[in-house]
Amino acid sequence: MKTRLLVGSVAAVLAFSGSNALADKANDTLNVAFTKELESVDSYFNSAREGVIFQRSVWDGLLYLNQETGEYEGNLATSWQWVDDTTLELKLREGVKFHNGEEFDADDVVYTVNFVAKPENGVVVQRNVNWMKEAVKVDKYTVRIITNGPFPAAFEYLAGPVSIYPNEYYAEAGPAGMALKPVGTGPYQVESVEPGKHFVLKRYEGYHDSPKGAASIGTVDIRTIPDVNTQLAELFSGGLDFIWGVPADQAEKIAAMGRFTVANESTMRIGYLELDAAGRSGDHPITKAKVRQAIAHAIDRQAIVDSLLKGKSKVVHSACFPTQFGCEQDVTTYDYDPEKAKALLAEAGYPDGFSVDFYAYRDRPYAEAMLSYLAKVGIQANLKYLQYSALRDMRFKGETSMSFQTWGSYSVNDASAITSQFFKHGAEDFARDDEVLAWLNAADTSVDPAVRKENYSEALKKIADQAYWVPLFSYNSNYVFTQDAEFTPTPDEVVRFFQVSWKQ
Amino acid sequence: MPGSIRASGWGEAMARTIETVAEEIRSPSPGAMLRRRIFGHYGLVFGIAVLTIIVLIALFAPLLTSHDPYTQDLMARMKPPFWMAGHDPDHLLGTDHLGRDYLARLLYGARISLAIGAVAALISGLIGTAMGVAAGYFGGKVDLVVTFLINVRLAMPVVLVALAVVAILGGSLEVVIVVLGLLLWDRFAVVMRSSVMQVRDLEYVNAAKAIGCSVPRIVLSEIMPNVLNNLIVVATLEMAHAILLEAALSFLGLGVQPPTPSWGLMISEGKQMMLFEPWLIAIPGVALFILVLAINLLGDGLRDVTAPENRG
Repeated sequence: MKTRLLVGSVAAVLAFSGSNALADKANDTLNVAFTKELESVDSYFNSAREGVIFQRSVWDGLLYLNQETGEYEGNLATSWQWVDDTTLELKLREGVKFHNGEEFDADDVVYTVNFVAKPENGVVVQRNVNWMKEAVKVDKYTVRIITNGPFPAAFEYLAGPVSIYPNEYYAEAGPAGMALKPVGTGPYQVESVEPGKHFVLKRYEGYHDSPKGAASIGTVDIRTIPDVNTQLAELFSGGLDFIWGVPADQAEKIAAMGRFTVANESTMRIGYLELDAAGRSGDHPITKAKVRQAIAHAIDRQAIVDSLLKGKSKVVHSACFPTQFGCEQDVTTYDYDPEKAKALLAEAGYPDGFSVDFYAYRDRPYAEAMLSYLAKVGIQANLKYLQYSALRDMRFKGETSMSFQTWGSYSVNDASAITSQFFKHGAEDFARDDEVLAWLNAADTSVDPAVRKENYSEALKKIADQAYWVPLFSYNSNYVFTQDAEFTPTPDEVVRFFQVSWKQ
Repeated sequence: MPGSIRASGWGEAMARTIETVAEEIRSPSPGAMLRRRIFGHYGLVFGIAVLTIIVLIALFAPLLTSHDPYTQDLMARMKPPFWMAGHDPDHLLGTDHLGRDYLARLLYGARISLAIGAVAALISGLIGTAMGVAAGYFGGKVDLVVTFLINVRLAMPVVLVALAVVAILGGSLEVVIVVLGLLLWDRFAVVMRSSVMQVRDLEYVNAAKAIGCSVPRIVLSEIMPNVLNNLIVVATLEMAHAILLEAALSFLGLGVQPPTPSWGLMISEGKQMMLFEPWLIAIPGVALFILVLAINLLGDGLRDVTAPENRG
C-alpha cells in the first residue's frame, strides 16, 4: 500500500540520517518525547503537563494516591490527621535521603511549604499552594501544616502538586539552580538538563520504601519534539520508544501495523460549551434557558465521541469529570434530538434560528463537527479560532457568548477543581447564579464529606437544568510504545516512568 | 544552386525587391500577428487553457458534483480516493476528516482561491497603479512621497504583517482579501512608476499637453494604454502571490475559517494525517500548484507576447 511505502521511506531516511541514540532494552534506556517545551523543570515554576510528569519521577509528595484503590498512602509522611479544621499534623518517614545525600526531615517540609506558600515567591499555579498558610516544625519528624481556612481537598494536593524540596540545597540554589540541577527524593535522579530540549534521568538506587515503587528502567532519555508526525517518524525509525497524546486516527493505524503497543486511557479533561447565560457579552439569544437547552439537544455528542475522540472517551452530562468527588451523575440529560431542539428554539422565539460567534482554541475538527450540528437546527455559528491566551483574555472580559472549552482539573480528583473554578462568580463564570455560588461555598469549605456531596449535587443539578454549560465528552490519551516495554496508563494523564518496565 | 550564383547583380537586386514587396503584401494584420504570437507561445496557451478550466469549474461547481461541501458524515470519515483500495464510488476523491466529500470541497475551494486572487490583485492594483502613475507622471515631491511609501512597504515582511493583522482582527474571507489587497501594491507602484516615467516625455504626450488636454485625459488615454501590458503582467503575478499567501495563512489557521472550503485549509486539516493518508494533502496541494503555475505561465506569456521586441 502507498501509505506503508511512505511511512517506510520516511523511517528509512531517518534511520540513515538520524542521530540514533541507540535506544532500547539492550542498553536499558527508554527514549521518550515531550511535546511541549518545558520552561523550567522546577515543578512549582511551570504549568505544563510535561512538568507534572517530570515532577512525579524526580520528587515525592508527603502522600501518594494509589491509582488502583483510590486510597491515600503515606509517601514522605507515614501518618497524618487533622488536629482541627485548619491544622494537619503529619509524621514523617525516617531515613529518607535526597539525591545529593541531604537527609530528609521536618526542616525540608517547613522550608518548602513556607517558600511556596508565599505569593511573592511567584509559584506559577497559585491554586496548588495558596491553600497553605505555613508549616510548623514540631520535632525532627513531625510537622504541622496550617491552612487558610478549612480545605477538605488538602490530601489531593499533598499527593499531587506539592512536592518536598531539600531545604539546604534549595536555599542556596533557588528556583534557578533547581531548574538546572534538580534534586529530590524521587525514584529517578536527574543526570543532565538542557533547558527546554533534553533531559536525562537515571534510576535512584537509594530510593526509600515508597508506595510509588522503585524505578525499573535504568535511564530515561527525554527530548522535546513538538510535532506529532515527527514523533511518529522517530518512533518508526527506533529513535523513540514511548510517546503519548497520539491522535485517535494515527493510533488506530499504528495499532494496525502491529509493531507497537497502543494503550488507551481516559483522562480527567472534559470538553464543554461555555454559554453566556448571564448576558455578560450583551443581549443575545443564549441568555434564554430554552435556547441553551436547544443547543444541548442539537449536538450529537455520542457520534463525536464514536468517530472523532474514540478510545475510552465518554459523553459527560454533569459539569465535572465523573470520578471526581462530588460529581453528581443524576442530573438532567439532553439527548441528541434536533427536532426537539428546533421546537425549543421556536418556543424561545427563534423559529428560524439565529447567528452567533463560536469561539474555540483547540481540537478544530470537534468544533467544526459541532458547527455542522448547530447549523442543522438553524443556529448559524461562526467559528472564531484563537490562541488559548487570546481567548482566555476575551473570556475574562466577558466578551464571548459561546465558546468550546476544556478543563483538565490539574488531575485533582475533586469537583472543587472544576465546578468551583467556574461557577463562583469569577472572571470565567458566565452563569453568575447566586444559588449555585452559595452551594459551592458550602461544599468547598466543609470538612464533612456528606455535606460536601449534598451541596455539590444541588449545584450541579441546577447547572444541568439551566444548561449553563453543555458538558460534551471526556478526553482520552493514546500511549504508543515499543513492544519491549510494559506500561499501564492511568486516568490522571500522568506518565510514571518508574512504572514502566521491560518485558521479561 | 549554381544558377543563382551565376545570376547578374541587377537580377539579384530585382528579385530581392520583389520578394520584399510580396512579403509586405502577404504580411498579416497586427491582429493576426498577435494571434499567431499567442498560439505560438505554448506556455501562454497552457496557462489560458488551465485557468479557463479552473474558472469554469469554480463557476459551475454545483453542476459538477451532487455533494455539498459542508455536509459532514462522521460515519464515513477519510474514505480514500478512487485510485486506492477501499474507496467509495460515491466519493471520487474520498472524504475528509469529518466525512465531507473531498471533490466537492476541492471544486468549491477553487472559488475561494480565485476570488481571493482576483479581488486582492484588484485592490492592490488600484492602490499601486494610482500611486505609481502619480509618482511617474508628476515626479518631484509626489515621487519622493510615493518612493518613501514604497520603501516603507518593502521594509515590512508581508507574511508577518498579514499574520499579525489577521490574528488581531480574526480570520475571515473578507479580512484576508482586504489585508492582502492592502499589502501587495508595492510591485504595481514600482513598475507603473518607471513605465510612466519612460513615456511621459514622449512626443504624443507632449502634443496632448500642447493642445491643452486635462491631466486625467492625458493619463487615461495617452499614457495608460502604453503601460497597460506591464500592469497586466504584474497583476497576474500578484494574483498568484495572493493565492499562495491565502493558502499559507489558512494553513497556519489564520486565514479563511472553517467550514469554508479553502485549499490551504484543506492542506492544514490533512497535515496531521500526513504520514498515513498523504493524499489528503496531495490533492489540494496539486490543485494549488496547477492554478499558480497556470497564472504564472499566463503572466509570463503575456509579457513575451506584448513586449515591443517581440512585436516583429
